[in-house]
Amino acid sequence: MRTMSAFNRVRSYLAATVAVTALVAVSPRATAAQDQIPGVSLGLVYTGAYVPALAVQPFTGRFGGAGLAPDVETIVSTDLRNSDRFQMLDQLPAGFVRDQVDYALWDRLGAVWLVTGTFEGAGEGYVLLIELHDVVYGEVRERGRFRVPEPSDPDFRMAVHRASDEIVRWATGDPGMAASRIAFTMRGVRADSLTYNEVYVIDSDGENLRRVTDFQDALESPTWSPDGSKLAYTSWKSGYPRIYEMNLNTGQETMLPPVRGAGDYITPAYSPDGRTLAFSVLGSGERGGIFTYNVAEDCCLAYLSGGPHYDISPTYSPDGRWMAFNTLRYGDAVPQVMVMPAQGGVAETLSPYQYGAGGYFTAPDWSPYGDLVAFHGAIERGRYHILVANLEDGGRVLRQLTTEGNNEDPSWAPDGRHLVFVGERSWGYGLLVVDATTGNVRPLLAGRRVGVPDWSPAVAPR
Amino acid sequence: MIVRRFVAPVVTAMLIAGACGGDPPPPPPPPAGPDMDSLRAYQDSVRQAEEARRRAEAEAAAQRAAEAERQRAIAAARATLEEMVFFDYDQSEIRNDAAEVLRRKVAILRASPQVRIRIEGHCDERGSTEYNLALGNRRAEAIRQFLTGFGISESRFEIVSFGEGRPLAQGANEQAWSRNRRGQFVITGGANQINPAE
Repeated sequence: MRTMSAFNRVRSYLAATVAVTALVAVSPRATAAQDQIPGVSLGLVYTGAYVPALAVQPFTGRFGGAGLAPDVETIVSTDLRNSDRFQMLDQLPAGFVRDQVDYALWDRLGAVWLVTGTFEGAGEGYVLLIELHDVVYGEVRERGRFRVPEPSDPDFRMAVHRASDEIVRWATGDPGMAASRIAFTMRGVRADSLTYNEVYVIDSDGENLRRVTDFQDALESPTWSPDGSKLAYTSWKSGYPRIYEMNLNTGQETMLPPVRGAGDYITPAYSPDGRTLAFSVLGSGERGGIFTYNVAEDCCLAYLSGGPHYDISPTYSPDGRWMAFNTLRYGDAVPQVMVMPAQGGVAETLSPYQYGAGGYFTAPDWSPYGDLVAFHGAIERGRYHILVANLEDGGRVLRQLTTEGNNEDPSWAPDGRHLVFVGERSWGYGLLVVDATTGNVRPLLAGRRVGVPDWSPAVAPR
Repeated sequence: MIVRRFVAPVVTAMLIAGACGGDPPPPPPPPAGPDMDSLRAYQDSVRQAEEARRRAEAEAAAQRAAEAERQRAIAAARATLEEMVFFDYDQSEIRNDAAEVLRRKVAILRASPQVRIRIEGHCDERGSTEYNLALGNRRAEAIRQFLTGFGISESRFEIVSFGEGRPLAQGANEQAWSRNRRGQFVITGGANQINPAE
């Protein structure tokens, strides 16, 4: 599926959309109830994927690494559990460490995979030696050496996360998402009792929560540059919503793009090659909609969608050729998700809109593997759930990933499998992570007034 | 004792005088003319000054009252310009109660051509954060269109959406939400040239 070009996928989806539209036109269910989506099957079905058991043998240490070995093991075990790809057999007593790996013992315990690790002092910093054992065949399948800096280094945990992602890739052939971060907004209240948002960043395992901005003003939609070195967002600090880009290495901030006239500049999104920034300008009597700006050459503002349509929240396909976005073309209270060529052109509706039947679908995010677009939608009146549309189905089959509370603003992890979103539960708001394959949900940051999370690409070593 | 000795001869002298003549002593001459005139003039001028002062005071008081009244009217006009309007859930249509508030703004805007207004669109927290930015913009735009529909120049307004980022009321209930779905008005120019409507 992933070898198929995005163009073919979108083309087949467009054809499917036409077919659906034709069906809908003769459908006798045009006045269906608000809590149903006519012509669309909504499923909570998860593929019954094989989930092998993976054991983590307590890590050992050498040359000054022994003290940190248990901490490193805990990071790796947590990452592998969070990957939702294994039944974990971890946190085992140190007695399981032998000079020779006892495959028969692990086999009896039901393990298919075994991870062993040694944490070694290496002059400057450390080296983490990891071996992935195939218990069934009784042999080492893969081994790797990972440089890890001192624990005081901000890259310490990220370096260990990279080892975890490599283990996932060895065992499954697919990328992991441990070495990544999530940017989001968190609300504060100023001395004059006005509320404001700041950009915060947290690691994929819920550690290292830290604040990035300090404007004490309205702020929305933080979004990562593809190389993870910059964040773009909309800030109201000038009195008006304008898009800024912050270089995370230098802390330097620039306004992007140069503003042309009035209007609200919102919802920035980088193209996959990082050369283009797409964003929306809201009305102000002039033309509004989605624009692009060439940030690589600092030029060339282009206008993509026509008319006062209120097209917002653009998100690029991973090949950069298509763009999904949110639109109010159908009017108040019925926002829909559409897809169009990234250079602009005819847009097709992806979300299951049907005239007269309402429907509320917003906040699209295109998967890094191209075949899925996540968004959230009102399933019952006033209840929002995370939904995933497969482009090959043209939006006819929606997978619903959440069942309780309200759920908003999904963003794909770099593994193309997990999504972070804002959940509203009886205990309050929080960032939650759902695995689109198993449906497992874990809290990332609970009980805080958070918003609009954006999952970073894989964080490369510095 | 000393007093009595002094009084007795004076009385005696008066009795002697009364007994020895029918002519009463002539009355003292009236004060000379010019003295009386100047006294009257003086008294008149004092009275006039007093009256003038009283008149001036009354005038000043009236002016103060009028000015206070004018200031009250300006403050009321300002309050009317800044009065918020509210929207239905997920809608940008101007409600009847909002239209009434906006019509009162129109009268003041007509009388105060220097006044410029920033219209802010706000939403409650329900629904998508980014969609609410668009909804807030639509609300601000709907207000602007309503006002320009009465002939107020479009150039006197600017609009900005805050989405759900600036709630008036905290809380996840209809009471808070209904306060947060609003248009807010900030006077950005001509704040000292507000004229109350006729």
